[in-house]
Amino acid sequence: MRLTYRDRPVDVAPGETVLDALLRAGVEAPCSCRAGQCQTCLHRATEGVPPPESQNGLTPAQKSLGYFLACICRPSEPLTIAPPDDAGARIEAVVRALEFLSHDVLRLRIEAERFAYRPGQFLELIAEEDLRRHYSLASHPEEDPFLELHIRLHPNGRMSRRLKADLRPGHRVHVAGPRGTCFYEGVDKEQPLALIGAGTGLAPLYGVLRDALRQGHHGPIRLYHGARERKGLYLTEELQALAGMRDNVEYVSATLDSGGDIAALALEREAPRVAETAFFLCGGENLVKRLKRDLFMAGASLKAIRSDAFTPASG
Amino acid sequence: MTTLYERLGGEKAVDAAVELFYRRVLADGRIARFFDGVDMDQQIAKQKSFLTMAFGGPNAYSGLDMRNAHKRLVEKGLNDSHVDAVIENLNSTLRQLGVPEKEVREVAALADSVRADVLGRSAA
Ligand code: FES
Repeated sequence: MRLTYRDRPVDVAPGETVLDALLRAGVEAPCSCRAGQCQTCLHRATEGVPPPESQNGLTPAQKSLGYFLACICRPSEPLTIAPPDDAGARIEAVVRALEFLSHDVLRLRIEAERFAYRPGQFLELIAEEDLRRHYSLASHPEEDPFLELHIRLHPNGRMSRRLKADLRPGHRVHVAGPRGTCFYEGVDKEQPLALIGAGTGLAPLYGVLRDALRQGHHGPIRLYHGARERKGLYLTEELQALAGMRDNVEYVSATLDSGGDIAALALEREAPRVAETAFFLCGGENLVKRLKRDLFMAGASLKAIRSDAFTPASG
Repeated sequence: MTTLYERLGGEKAVDAAVELFYRRVLADGRIARFFDGVDMDQQIAKQKSFLTMAFGGPNAYSGLDMRNAHKRLVEKGLNDSHVDAVIENLNSTLRQLGVPEKEVREVAALADSVRADVLGRSAA
């Protein structure tokens, strides 16, 4: 059996695991328990289907993306595999529109051919060789002919300056990805859904919300959006309108300058049904980590909490 | 002759226990600090492999893995009292799930068998 690992062929002997084959070929693949428990040896098949037993214990989102555990994977067909965080090949994209959604959040719409993704995943935007950042996808592949990113501008950020000063419709950039497992998969259509985010954490949640509705989710959905200041909230009118049109959608916002803490609010309101709810948490690292822990301690299952924590850009 | 792991219900039993156990551990003021800042999803996978081992299920942990995995914690002050606390939490999780006392003790003994490796000292 033949594997392709980062463009290089690796032979798997009959009965041998992918992990053993990689190690034998000199790839420094991390591993620990070697029994399919600890997930240290996680890899992803970008082509070919890994055997189902090698996906034991992974989330539905991970399974749908081809993730598997190398230490218990005895492939029955050729696989092209990559380490879990591999961004994949970069492709060219054309800027279609740039527009302010609030005083410091920019909506960037770009068009890229053959960029398959799930709403809520993120991509790497490459403006220059050494200028790349991760942004979540707010668009929907079946509804939008573009990729939509919500970008918070920082006064001294390099990407911010670049976007504001130089980028215009028609300009070319590159993107790589997508990555991330924060999307609508493995959720029961009747299940309560709580989407909680702050700042541009709204982007992936907006994508997930639209995807959930499109897929016929009819359990109650609450979208919580928090910001530091009132003027930091955006898409408010669209979201209010959407909530007005759908019986099962509620939109809740809170801003710190008016004493509202979105995490505390969401925790309090979700408490009565915390064990049944599917959660999506997106935003700054502190918020996401704290909320994840609090929800888990309140009785939510970790399996039901999907999250994407934004880390500040470096360089 | 069925193994302890089979008697307890195999992987299903581990799945039923792992979140209850992890929640107890995080709520335990004696040991919670050792879990500060760790990624919860990675941690729960580790808890699951620990429980699988303690249940006598399939695992390939070596003493060296255990040492390496806990080295940083030993530097932060991990000692016998913390291992005791973890085993206590394991016991109460199993009792909560209605596991018979005989099996609770067997699991505790298996968990205890890695103590020296976890604490990075030579086996007693
Ligand atoms: S090494 Fe632990 S799951 Fe593969």
